[in-house]
Amino acid sequence: MASLLLAVLLIPTLSVPIVYLAGKKSSKAAALIVSLVAVVNLALVLSTAPAVFNNVDHRYVEAYNWIPLLNASFTLFVDGISLSIAVITLVLILAAALFSVNYMHERKNLAAYYALLSLLSIGLVGVFITSNLLLFYFCWELMLVPAYFIVGGWGYRDSYKAAFKLFIFTHAGAVFVLLGIGAIYMLTGATDMFQVRTALMSASQGTVEWILIALTAGFAVKMAVVPVHMWLPDAHSEAPATMSALLSGVIISAGAYAILRLSLGTVYPALAGTAFAAQFLHALSVVGVISAFFGSFISLVETDIKRIIAYSSIAHMGYVMFGLSLFPAVEPTTGTVLHLVNHAVSKGLLFLTAGAVMHQLGARDIREMGGLAGKMPFTATASATAALSIAGTPPFACFISEFLIFVGAFQVISVDSFYLYTTAFMLIATVLSLAYSLRFISRVFLGQPKNNEKIVDVPGFMKLAMAILAVLVIVLGVWPTFFVNLIQTVSFA
Amino acid sequence: MVDLFDAVLPIATLALSSLLTVPLFKVFSRAKHRAILIIGWFLVVFAAASFSVANLATKYFAKATAEPFVNLTLSSGSQPSLSSAFMIDTVSIYMSIIFVLVGAVAFLYSIFYIDTTEKPAGRYLAVMLMLTAVLVGSAFAGDLLTLFIFWEAAAAGSSFLMLYKKTPSSLHATLKYLVMVIMASAFIVFGLSLVYGLTGTLNYWAVRQALTELSDKHLLVLAFVFIATGYAIEAAIVPFHMWLPDAYTEAPSSSSAFLSALIDQGSYYVLIRVLLFILTPPGILNWTVMLAGLAALTMVVGNLFALIQDNVKRLIANICVADVGYNLVAITSVTPLGLQGNLYFFLLGGITTALSFMSVGIINKQGYKTLEDFSGIGRKMPLTSLALLVAALSFAGVPPLGGFIAKFLVFTAAIEANMSWLAVIGVLTSVLQTAYLFRLVNYMYARKSKDEAKIKEPKQLLIPVYILTAAIIILGLYPTIVLNLIQPVAHQLSLIT
Repeated sequence: MASLLLAVLLIPTLSVPIVYLAGKKSSKAAALIVSLVAVVNLALVLSTAPAVFNNVDHRYVEAYNWIPLLNASFTLFVDGISLSIAVITLVLILAAALFSVNYMHERKNLAAYYALLSLLSIGLVGVFITSNLLLFYFCWELMLVPAYFIVGGWGYRDSYKAAFKLFIFTHAGAVFVLLGIGAIYMLTGATDMFQVRTALMSASQGTVEWILIALTAGFAVKMAVVPVHMWLPDAHSEAPATMSALLSGVIISAGAYAILRLSLGTVYPALAGTAFAAQFLHALSVVGVISAFFGSFISLVETDIKRIIAYSSIAHMGYVMFGLSLFPAVEPTTGTVLHLVNHAVSKGLLFLTAGAVMHQLGARDIREMGGLAGKMPFTATASATAALSIAGTPPFACFISEFLIFVGAFQVISVDSFYLYTTAFMLIATVLSLAYSLRFISRVFLGQPKNNEKIVDVPGFMKLAMAILAVLVIVLGVWPTFFVNLIQTVSFA
Repeated sequence: MVDLFDAVLPIATLALSSLLTVPLFKVFSRAKHRAILIIGWFLVVFAAASFSVANLATKYFAKATAEPFVNLTLSSGSQPSLSSAFMIDTVSIYMSIIFVLVGAVAFLYSIFYIDTTEKPAGRYLAVMLMLTAVLVGSAFAGDLLTLFIFWEAAAAGSSFLMLYKKTPSSLHATLKYLVMVIMASAFIVFGLSLVYGLTGTLNYWAVRQALTELSDKHLLVLAFVFIATGYAIEAAIVPFHMWLPDAYTEAPSSSSAFLSALIDQGSYYVLIRVLLFILTPPGILNWTVMLAGLAALTMVVGNLFALIQDNVKRLIANICVADVGYNLVAITSVTPLGLQGNLYFFLLGGITTALSFMSVGIINKQGYKTLEDFSGIGRKMPLTSLALLVAALSFAGVPPLGGFIAKFLVFTAAIEANMSWLAVIGVLTSVLQTAYLFRLVNYMYARKSKDEAKIKEPKQLLIPVYILTAAIIILGLYPTIVLNLIQPVAHQLSLIT
């Protein structure tokens, strides 16, 4: 058994000191090492794809001894869902590292920045590739400390305040997750999520309900749906653009992934069919609709370029939550995971382009912008691609996944008429997302330039990073087959 | 086969070297390479102590399943129940390993921290060695009186460590501590006399035996209350904790590190040993609810007081109080998991508090004391701050650091014992802890410093600091190293409950 996935965690771990030392000499070298590590990891993760497609249970698993006392082994695994999200995570890390070369170059202390970035990537990827609850929690929290320091140390304005909010909110959420994991361990004596799933079937229903609530509440904080979204607008807008891309692209997706994998995939089956389970899903659905409306409305009236995008992330997590509430129907679940992938790429790209605009212009209020399309054609094209994808227009990525979610919703309506209302509201929310995306493009890139300063387009590495993501947005839009096939190998039945 | 010689050897080694330390310092003071000689001497002492403990451990574990509790009496005469005795089991071996290893690191720090050319330096280090010796002794004690003698020696000796600087405020803090400890001993002695009156013996096993056969339990309850109160004072359980923040803040940082890592853990150990193993055979007393209430109170009060502190060292001292609460959570659930969580917490809590006192001590030496002074210290003293950051995150229970596993074990034990409410309080106070520790981190890294002083970090002080930092990270990533050592405890607990 090759230790492919162990290498995915070990290579970035070992690279942290190398990156730091290299960064002391040249920050570009550090950025390139981080990118290289991401590429190598991408290759390693993708090399498990044949196993995922061909194995009988459609999983690729590695297990090592860890803490026998807690019946916990160091289990790494990928299936279709985790593989898709891990791939997109690594792509975003690659883009963030490349983008940083020019974007961060006049900042101080870059050795530490790149070391923290590679530290962050360990936890970020680790969350998606483990099936052990304790190891999952390790990686879950390992994201937090580097994120705090990156947002705080290299962010804008009152960045440490935003970082503090990020840390406290998500850590408080994580504590509920921990309570849930502890209770699961007490009930079942297992920490592997697939064993837990079977063992919980025979546990007392009342406790399992509480576990489901605790876990979901904890994950929802990371996902930043209303009413636990307060940390997101600050953290996403004060962070450096590269970190915003990772936060909005992957870190909040980790919350959604965790709800799908643990709350719904592991704990929910023990309750399936009960009245509580139906109410629980209805509640998720309502939360999704509220978040979508809330995020979209504020995004429509914000004037800060990054806050517009940040609130749109809340709206999109609303779509995802809505998609999750249709569990366990196949189409919407596939659509939801696909939307996580598509949203990650599109939103990552959108944040990078916003960063590019801020970097070249030195301003962040969209009222001071306008007419930039002529001066920064490359950035404008990339940004329009991303914004149109976020708006859900074909042929860009997010269209397909939103379409799949709604197709699924209509199927579910025939079984449970409650979803008629939420689906109707959700469709209205998509119109809002089109509105704020178009407003964003027209205010920033179209119209008359506000001043006649000489503004040029971004340098090479920033272009490269944006190009990678822009191409992916279009490819995922016209040819989603690979990821759809991959995701559909997973069965929650 | 473990015999008396093996059990006494570690205690004797440490005690004898303590006695030799002061004359040796006289000799060293004329030598050319004093510092190297001093370090060499302590390396020899701790190597010998580690060897004797290792010898005991190998001999014990060779027959651990056949003979989990080894009782050794000093005089094998006609009345073994009255003789002073030693008992060796997994818990005591584990505690002695902690005492010797963590003690060695705390020592290394002390040698670099205090000025060894000062006159009382030799005595200071000798007292520390003697304290290590009596702590190991209390771990191996086999009857209540031996335990009492060793433990009171440790408590009294601690006051010398607090008093080293002889400032008025440290005198005041030490006096407060001594008064509390003396009251505590009075309580304990009275309780012990009741136990002796009831059972006619003080030997652990004989007492247990006699108590299960006792028909009238009223006096036992009284004895229990007295003894528990006494040890609660020494373990700084709220509402008897007032001495601890003062004492640990006013003592020099090397003393605070030693006291929090060894004496604190020792006092919880004594509490567990007496209350859990001896005085509460099943069905005699129902004390878990009371203890759980105290645990909740201690967690809440310790953390709330830490929240309002402005002096960083005092903040850490208040975390020590909160840590007592977390330890109590594990004791209340008399389960193998709880006990193992407790033992793990002893090590981790000790290491983490020691680490934070050590790094705060280095920063205090530069004259930075309050949170405001700590502004921007992360840039001025990057290596020290990194260690303090690791300690803070470990306190807060952020994985992958050791503190996380410790808290996880403790809280799961509470859930297992059907005390979910206690686990919830523990978790909520943990969040509070994270909040104020992050306020500290925020000061260290986010704030701009007022002065632009260039500070050279003392390299030799960073050696013990980074030994402990590495230990926290390793124990977090792979706790099985230690958990394997304490696994037999589950078996032992099943034998006595």
